[in-house]
Amino acid sequence: MVRIAGRERNFKFMRFLAILAILSIGGIAHAHPVSFKKGVGIMSYNNGEMNEVLLTYSFTHRFAAATTFLNDGDSEFLIPRANFLLKRWNNDDSQGNIYFSAGSGVETYDNKGYGAHLGEFVADWESRKYYTYFEHLYINRENQSNPMIPERDYNHTKLRLGFAPFLADYSDLNVWFITQFDRHMDEDKIEATQFMRFYIKNVLWEVGAGFNGNFAFNFMIHI
Amino acid sequence: MKALLLTFTMLMAANAFAVDRAKDPVATTKNETATNELKVGVKGMVCAFCAQGIEKSFMAQKEVAAIEVSLANKYVKIKFKDGQKLSNEKVAELLKESGYEAVFGG
Repeated sequence: MVRIAGRERNFKFMRFLAILAILSIGGIAHAHPVSFKKGVGIMSYNNGEMNEVLLTYSFTHRFAAATTFLNDGDSEFLIPRANFLLKRWNNDDSQGNIYFSAGSGVETYDNKGYGAHLGEFVADWESRKYYTYFEHLYINRENQSNPMIPERDYNHTKLRLGFAPFLADYSDLNVWFITQFDRHMDEDKIEATQFMRFYIKNVLWEVGAGFNGNFAFNFMIHI
Repeated sequence: MKALLLTFTMLMAANAFAVDRAKDPVATTKNETATNELKVGVKGMVCAFCAQGIEKSFMAQKEVAAIEVSLANKYVKIKFKDGQKLSNEKVAELLKESGYEAVFGG
């Protein structure tokens, strides 16, 4: 009986990790999903259970083509997507943005391919001192054979709030403290992760630790 | 692993505070013979990571010798090569392509 209960706990834990990995496709939006005309973005998002690489190419400052590759150990996702800047507010001391992304690709599981489709809404506002970010991600998966993640529809809401302890200029090392709140699917639980973000010019990296002991490392570069 | 992350974080934070704040923010210099320059205010330029597109965009112009970006003073200073210049319209267009709004004469 105890052994069965232990297996069930392991199964639930593995399922939780698998869901986290799937939902982390939305993690690409740690920076703007569209950059500048002819800008290339490379981002890597990693934790103990999965790795993700995202490539973007901005045709204009309002539209970028992108591809997400994600591997969680059981499933591999390859999802081409289009990112749109719907609205930007350029203020004297701040900037606000609204983005929408849509994509369709393939999930490979157990040597079989399944369709995977995503839609994402992002809104952010930042000044040199404060940073706010909201994201809602929806994923529709045709694969129902993975017992870890049997649901076809996923929803993930993310909120990030941050501040800079000092104001750095263009060539300086910028440091931010960011707290990220995640709500997965229809769960009532909200997870919090504390990040430290660093960037110099076109190179950005973040290290994070959750209150549950999870860690994360994100890296991004614009060229 | 947590100890490693914590150590890395502390090191990076210490490094950040040690940055020489008096440093001139001049970005890149292609040609030291620049003789004229244009200073343009930029609305919405709050992030060095994002403003990198401005530097890239202007440095791709053959008329430009160097560009200086100041987040604190919200401007870019464009240094032109001898006898060359960009029109205000072109400067505004390049800033727009980078996602920002030009403010002349501010």
